[in-house]
Amino acid sequence: MVEISIQNLTKHYATLVALDNISLKIDSGEVFGLLGPNGAGKSTLLKILVGILRPTSGTIRLGEYDIVADPEKAKKLIGYLPENPSLYAGLTTLEFLQFVGKIRGVQDDLLDHEISGSLKSFGLDEKRNSLVGSLSKGMKQKVALIATSLHSPEVLVLDEPLTALDPKTRVSVKDWIGGQTKRGVTTILSTHDLDVAQTHAGRIAIIDHGKIVAVGDVESLRRLANTASDARLEDVFLRLTEEKGEEPARH
Amino acid sequence: MRYWVKGRFTKGAILGLVIGEAFSVVFILFGSSTYLSFSNRVGLSTGLSEVALTILLALFLVGLIQSGFNGSGLPVSSSDVDYVFTSPVPPREVFAAKLLLNSLTTVLFGFPPIFVLYLRFSAYYHTSWSSAVLAGLATLVFLVIGLLLSADITLSLGHGLGERKKLWRNIFIILVIAVSLLPITLLIPGIPVEVAEVTRVLPNGLAAAVSVGLVSGTPVGLAYLADLLLFAWLGGVLVLGVRMSRGHFYDLLEVPSASGEKFDQPNQVSRLNPKGKSIWSIVRLKEKIMISRTREARAQFISAVFLSAFMIIYALSGSFQSSPTSFLFILFIIGSFGSGTASRWIEKERLWILKSSPLSMRRYVKEVYRARVAPLLLYLSPVTVAVGVPLILGGLSQPSFLLGVILALPGALEIASITMAGGMYFASKYGQSSADDILSSQQQELADIRRFLFQTIINLVMVSPLILLVFVSETLVTILGPGYLPILAVGMVSVSILFTSLSINFLLNKAGDAVSKREDV
Repeated sequence: MVEISIQNLTKHYATLVALDNISLKIDSGEVFGLLGPNGAGKSTLLKILVGILRPTSGTIRLGEYDIVADPEKAKKLIGYLPENPSLYAGLTTLEFLQFVGKIRGVQDDLLDHEISGSLKSFGLDEKRNSLVGSLSKGMKQKVALIATSLHSPEVLVLDEPLTALDPKTRVSVKDWIGGQTKRGVTTILSTHDLDVAQTHAGRIAIIDHGKIVAVGDVESLRRLANTASDARLEDVFLRLTEEKGEEPARH
Repeated sequence: MRYWVKGRFTKGAILGLVIGEAFSVVFILFGSSTYLSFSNRVGLSTGLSEVALTILLALFLVGLIQSGFNGSGLPVSSSDVDYVFTSPVPPREVFAAKLLLNSLTTVLFGFPPIFVLYLRFSAYYHTSWSSAVLAGLATLVFLVIGLLLSADITLSLGHGLGERKKLWRNIFIILVIAVSLLPITLLIPGIPVEVAEVTRVLPNGLAAAVSVGLVSGTPVGLAYLADLLLFAWLGGVLVLGVRMSRGHFYDLLEVPSASGEKFDQPNQVSRLNPKGKSIWSIVRLKEKIMISRTREARAQFISAVFLSAFMIIYALSGSFQSSPTSFLFILFIIGSFGSGTASRWIEKERLWILKSSPLSMRRYVKEVYRARVAPLLLYLSPVTVAVGVPLILGGLSQPSFLLGVILALPGALEIASITMAGGMYFASKYGQSSADDILSSQQQELADIRRFLFQTIINLVMVSPLILLVFVSETLVTILGPGYLPILAVGMVSVSILFTSLSINFLLNKAGDAVSKREDV
């Protein structure tokens, strides 16, 4: 299993400071929740973590590998689901999963087995020869989830996995997240769904204006926010982020 | 109408359009001169011009008929759907405003290049410039008829034609093509002239007859009747469209998707069996499957046919014999055209799949280049040989000319390869930007024109050493003597191949790095 270490991470987009000197340590096998208002920097953090974006300064290590210095080795450990996963509409579901499995290094003899099992468990078996472009949003999200975990990653990075899904698909995605966390996969879960964060995450970080404003389990966040001991996470979140202005930090 | 006009004619858009117009005028002059030298060579002038124009306009008509049946007869954007179609403006007014704007745009922007085309022809036929203007106007009337017809077809989809649209589309297109191709039979000795007259039932045939008649000064029999028939078409399709637009037609229109992908069949047989294949062969296979399932395959086929036809016409016109460097220049044009195939490589929002994987982006781009571009190069190779062998045989007695030809033949393919690699760099640097999606269409057009010009300059710089080699070849043979021809040929061809390999590698590495560094995914 893999632990994640983020040290003094900063990311600038021209004059905009998207992430401001963030440091975090996520233990191996831990499920770590990431909460924050829109534009707080959550997706940027996750994109740097998986090697899509480069940090302006600071380091991210996944186990023994630095994502900037050893991107190929580090990326082998990761399964990433972006906020709005765009898939190859012109490939069939089966072809898409075969392609992703192959580029993520799944052995040929395991790939068919993994794909068939996952399609069955998500109820997508009869869609294997359908073009991805013809699938519904919920089905595409399920296909993206299968693609994320085909290579049995040791780190899962999930960016808003439940956005705009119907209740039935939400349940199956939540079950899937539960299954992965039981497997002991180190998971970072960015979400606006506070129930999901509370249910699955051992610790939660609240990020606002590119800074971590609080980290801890739900109890410690309640204490930090000076809320009642039975306060809902929603109230804790609002209390911890309310004092900041609307404009993002700028140099 | 004001909303669309305001949106379309921003300052930036006007600047972009001026650059675009200038470019099209240069291209038209180049193309028309090539055409005239070709028609001179084969000994045909007015007759051939009318045939060529009928066919050219027929291609335009076929394209519009197709887009009409696809629901794109009235171009709409997603903002139209969200804001205009949900407004209380009656559909008929929306229809009228859209048509008026599209026709105006076509006339406004179509006129300069069309006028230049006819001006070039009027200079050739020694007729007055006013005949060129009138000929241009006749062609523009045809273009507007085409737009109206396309809109009418889209509107007719709601009247029970929808379910049978494929059958009707195919019948329509076959009829238009068949009638339009009839003038070619005039090239068969002894064929009755009346056969070609059949083409004048369609607006493309009428427009060609009137335009060529005017610009060549040839008295056109029944010219006024042809004019009247052309305007009858215009009135007919306009009245038909106005009648059909009375209903609510918004659900018939198609909003183009951001990715431009469209598939006829939702289910397909899976063709990407990864067993025993390397990662890179799977990457290439994926790319080929994607191309084959989108309209890109058709675009590639049309590119290949266009490129080879252009090369053959250029060879027949005798321009290559006058100078081997003209062969290289034409291949630069062809390579730039072909680089469009490479430039269509768009991953955009799907880059997360690749960038979060352990793949090397440099290698990935190289494999995409192989999958997208290699087929076109392979296709061009035999055409180059077919064009080149007669040149070599013809130049055996002139050693200085022969070295230029020997260098120019592989050089042609090398130039095409480099410009296509440039196309991949272009696609990586600019084509993958999801930030482009939030630009307005006018800004996007302007950005595309700027990038295209920038890319053309880069390509020209990259291939100029190859053109230079051909330039100096004649001087070298003259200085060293014909005895050195074999050594010079082997040496210089090796240098050009080495230069090409290094250039392609450099461009594709830069392309891979550009994808890796993208921040807007």
